[in-house]
Amino acid sequence: MSEEILKALTQLFAIITKQDGGVTVNERQYVIRFFQQELDQASIEAYLERYDKFSGYSEKGPSHQLTIAAPSVKDSIVTLGICKKINRTLTQKQKVIVLIKLLELVGSDNKFTPQRMEIINTVSTVFNISADEYKLIETFVVTTNMAELDFSDILVVNAQPEKAAKKQKHIQTDIDGNLFFLKVPSVDLYFAQYLGEESHYLNGFVMQHNRIYLFSHGSTIKIQSGNALYYSDIVADFNEELQTTKLSFNATIDEYRFPNGTVGLKDIVVAEGPGKLIGIMGASGAGKTTLLNVLAGLERPTKGEILVNGYNIHSRPDKIKGVIGYVAQDDLLIEELTVYENLYFNAKLCFANFSETEINDRVLEVLGNLGLETRKDLKVGSVLDKKISGGQRKRLNIALELIREPAILFLDEPTSGLSSRDSENVIDLLKELSLKGKLVFVIIHQPSSDIFKMFDKMIIMDTGGYPTYYGTPVEAVSYFKRATHQAHSNRGQCETCGNVNPEQIFNIIEAKVVDEYGQPTNKRKVTPMQWHNMFKSKFKIAALANEKEDPPQSLHIPNRIKQTLIFATRDLKAKISNRQYLLINLLEAPFLALILSFIIKYKSAPGGEDYMFRFNENLPAYLLMSIIVALFMGLTVSAEEIIRDRKILKRESFLNLSWNSYLVSKLGILFLLSALQTLMFVLVGNLVLEIQGMTLAFWFILFSTSCLANVLGLNISSAFNSAVTVYVLIPLLLIPQMILSGVLFSFDKLHTVISNKENVPFVADLMASRWAYEALAVYQFVNNDYEEPFYAYEKEASIADFKSAYLADEMIKRNQFAIDHYQSDNDSTRNEVRIALSILRNGLLNESYNEGLEGQNLNTQLTPNGYSKEFGNLLDGYLLNFRKHYQNVYNEQVKTADLKRTFYEKEGFDLNEEKNNYYNESLADLVKNVNTKERLAIENNRPIQLIDPIYQTPSPNHPLDYRTGFFFPKKSFLGMEYSTYTFNSVAIWLMTIALYVMLYFELLRKLLDTSGKVTFVNRK
Amino acid sequence: MRILSVALVALFLISCSSGKKPDEQAFEDSLDSTLNQGPSIDEEVIGSILDQIPSPLEISVLLKKSGIKYNPDLLNSPDNLPKYNSNYKMALNLGIYGTDLGYTNIYGQNQSGIKYLSSIKSLANQLNIGQFFDIETIGRLATNSKNLDSLLLITTQNFNSINHYLQQQNRSNLSVLLLTGGWLEAMQVTCQLAANNPDHGELKEKIGEQKITLEQILLLFSFYENDENMASLLTDLKELEAAFNKINITYTYKESSMEVVDGVAVIKDNSTTTIEITDEDVRNIMSKTNSIRNKIIS
Repeated sequence: MSEEILKALTQLFAIITKQDGGVTVNERQYVIRFFQQELDQASIEAYLERYDKFSGYSEKGPSHQLTIAAPSVKDSIVTLGICKKINRTLTQKQKVIVLIKLLELVGSDNKFTPQRMEIINTVSTVFNISADEYKLIETFVVTTNMAELDFSDILVVNAQPEKAAKKQKHIQTDIDGNLFFLKVPSVDLYFAQYLGEESHYLNGFVMQHNRIYLFSHGSTIKIQSGNALYYSDIVADFNEELQTTKLSFNATIDEYRFPNGTVGLKDIVVAEGPGKLIGIMGASGAGKTTLLNVLAGLERPTKGEILVNGYNIHSRPDKIKGVIGYVAQDDLLIEELTVYENLYFNAKLCFANFSETEINDRVLEVLGNLGLETRKDLKVGSVLDKKISGGQRKRLNIALELIREPAILFLDEPTSGLSSRDSENVIDLLKELSLKGKLVFVIIHQPSSDIFKMFDKMIIMDTGGYPTYYGTPVEAVSYFKRATHQAHSNRGQCETCGNVNPEQIFNIIEAKVVDEYGQPTNKRKVTPMQWHNMFKSKFKIAALANEKEDPPQSLHIPNRIKQTLIFATRDLKAKISNRQYLLINLLEAPFLALILSFIIKYKSAPGGEDYMFRFNENLPAYLLMSIIVALFMGLTVSAEEIIRDRKILKRESFLNLSWNSYLVSKLGILFLLSALQTLMFVLVGNLVLEIQGMTLAFWFILFSTSCLANVLGLNISSAFNSAVTVYVLIPLLLIPQMILSGVLFSFDKLHTVISNKENVPFVADLMASRWAYEALAVYQFVNNDYEEPFYAYEKEASIADFKSAYLADEMIKRNQFAIDHYQSDNDSTRNEVRIALSILRNGLLNESYNEGLEGQNLNTQLTPNGYSKEFGNLLDGYLLNFRKHYQNVYNEQVKTADLKRTFYEKEGFDLNEEKNNYYNESLADLVKNVNTKERLAIENNRPIQLIDPIYQTPSPNHPLDYRTGFFFPKKSFLGMEYSTYTFNSVAIWLMTIALYVMLYFELLRKLLDTSGKVTFVNRK
Repeated sequence: MRILSVALVALFLISCSSGKKPDEQAFEDSLDSTLNQGPSIDEEVIGSILDQIPSPLEISVLLKKSGIKYNPDLLNSPDNLPKYNSNYKMALNLGIYGTDLGYTNIYGQNQSGIKYLSSIKSLANQLNIGQFFDIETIGRLATNSKNLDSLLLITTQNFNSINHYLQQQNRSNLSVLLLTGGWLEAMQVTCQLAANNPDHGELKEKIGEQKITLEQILLLFSFYENDENMASLLTDLKELEAAFNKINITYTYKESSMEVVDGVAVIKDNSTTTIEITDEDVRNIMSKTNSIRNKIIS
């Protein structure tokens, strides 16, 4: 208190006491006591002298003062002046205290004369204390009759079974006289007064009769009979909200083990109701965060359960959703968004029932409460690129939880890294929250005395996850002092200043044994186990009766579609505000397309004069690169998404938001980005390379591929913990895609384990690249403007050519062999005959030309038993006709195609130009497989056509057999034929959907988790 | 952002434009009138005539022997490949390139030879006779002039096998075109050289000898009068025949004998012929040959 104020107060005391009969000895004594509290011994004299001068007190007695009947005008003016001076300097709380001092001063001799009271009343008016409140305070100080104290802000503790007045609150306990408490609602201060004969201890000091004590945070009154009245209990009794909040939190953690098997927590019981601020303290490594995580339900206790209103938080998430809030130690902010936006989107996700303005108001209110309103439009920024201070970040983190006011709130070191002022603000806020009926658990580190005392209870943990204390904070110091037999053990706080030093506790817990030279050793005096045993014998924590109602919820989660929209808007906003990200992602594709297509565009026309699309030999490689680029962009853009959001997801897990909505919103944005990227890639690439008429077709395949990569990326992003791991994984995912794309390594030249000559190997079918490449190549070849009118003829011609030139010869040869040897006795020859017949049978399977074979059952006659020489000769004749027939078919088709060409040219259509612009020779060579040395191969007794896959038709073995060779123009499935382009697009999307299902159930993560649990046996 | 989207739309529009095509229906209609009249040709007859036509490569050997320098301008550039899209043109030019390849090979022009090989391979693929050109083997041989003999042998054999194969596959028309192309190219080269070296009697004589070959070719073409393209070529060839008709060939018959050269049976013609051919005749034949050939290669 400043000198000026003290002087003013002295004067005020004097003016009041000199009224109506002047100063009594008791009153003067009171003033002296007041000075003793505020001043050092030397100054008291001077102030007392000042007081005496103003009050007109003399040793001789107050007789000469009796003449004055009414307060002089001068006194009134002086009083006003003093009060105004005080108004400017003191806080409202301090003013209330001053008012109570004044009343107490008058009460010290019970001289409540009208004039004195009038002056005090004036003072209260100038102090802006409401009339009702003044009446309350005055009654509290003046009255000794409990019946008169008919206020809801009065709590009386006595031995009576019934309360004396209707409104007052009452606690019955074994006590002489009355102990009663006053709550001054406007400033949230509590005062205590005792009228009785026993000696009770307030914070370790005897309460004097008829004196008024400030009952501050963390105070305790020990009554003579042994019970204790704790600040938190008293406050709870006053608090009507607490009375109506139905909340019980019972945690019994017998044991918690980490995934690696070491014990994290042992024998912890927590039983709390609403309106409590619980601190958790402990040396580092004592398991504070573990305890918090287990209590919050983030980790499952190995043995034990956590019940909220009787509902197990793990088995009944539906009842618990929205009840719990969690503020982790690290930032859980979306760095790209502003302070306001962070809160806004959070609020949107919590309050579907609020209108836009209500949400806005709520956000601004919370920002105001946390002193962040001036920062609301600043971007949060990353830790490295700071836009708002550490304290503000912390407060914003808390605000994100506060905004929805969960019934139970867990905070992991909310004050770490904050200034002492900021820390106090934060804890004040939490205290306020607890007073609203919330249950708040806070891990706190090195709290200041004030903060320490603000907690209702303190859980103190010791190394190894053992609880060593569970009770009021101030008591903790006494407990540990007592346990180690220290002096003054019953006094937890400083006698004069009321400070508590929480460090003391840890000094005691972790005290080291001292060796003979006085050096502390590594050995502790009391082991955690010993502390724990002591704890078990001293503390019996009774479980709270489980409330019957559902836990209070303040949430209205929006429906899934709305959630998706909110998530998507939030994500989009964050992405748009990150310029670098946006720019790189949007420019990456056209830039890559530009360098790629620019580099591979050469003077390809024969003669090397200029560029001609038809002879660009790089086209097949370009298509592959496009697919790799699409995969790469898709992966990189998504691979970090979930990892980056993981912290936010952890926080939002308490909201029980839809995982599906979250994923859909992610995919929506990623797909949009992929669509843009691939579109730009295709546009630029096709423009530079002069690939005409393919834009949409190419785009759709690349887009699909990129989408698949997006979902794949999200999968690894959800399964792995760090971005680095994910980026290291990308080659692992991409390189098989390249190897098995069918372009770099021909499918028929792979290890025999995986490949055969007939079909694309099954492992390759798992690769998006193979489907995409095939779709692009086949589409470009079949559907280009030049080829389209001729494809049908060329296809027929190619099939006929193969049959007449290769298949016919092969079959004639085999048939001849069968005719010559079918009666052979030699086993191996007979086997060869069997093979030959089998080849014949397969070769004629589905053959439409059957002139000369009508009425023959090939399936029985082309077996060693059914075969005869006659049939062999018949077949031989047929095969010759077969060859001739297909020769004619071929010639006809070729001729028709030539006629069409001639016709086109006659119509003035430049086919050369058309071919140069639309047709690519290298791609044609690839899809026609012209470089194969053998055109016909026998695989599993089936003649396989190796040349011209692009002209072949699928021959499925059963309705589900979709498999064909690479570059087949059509795929067959369930008896229907689909164009390769359609089929492959569907295949890619089916894979995407499968990956999405994997992602939705987090299968990859679960797989990794289970494999992570496998420990290697140590062989010794 | 707005500029970006405008640019995207613009790009999109540009990339979508394409030329217009003749009406498909019109073609179908025209098809009905032409396709039905397929010629009935006796492949065996054609085969026997084809066999009598000498390989155009023989001319190249003669050129090399007579010490005439290599002149690539006489040949059809392999870069003309993109111009040949119909089977008709592809077959003719495959023949032409075959002769050109032989010519370059005989002069040891490996670099050009490989270019021709690549064009030949491409045409052969499109004609579905690509299996006869194992480009790896041929390319390997071609890079080493010591392998000249084997290269020649392989190429000759290839053309022989192609002929044989095409006949077997009922596609003699291609065979005819192939040979005609090769012959025309050889004619053209020989004529040009003969015109440049008027004193070279042997060349002129060689040209004169071709009268017989042309007669056989004309005979072959007569089978394909239904084919529009071949019919038009036949008309041109008949004009060439007119130019040849001014030459007198006196033929004295003697029994022929057979010898084995490098494991290949060669029939040695022991008959003698006297050919009377003037420079004027050569020029006439040359100009006619050139005009036909230019039609084909353009």
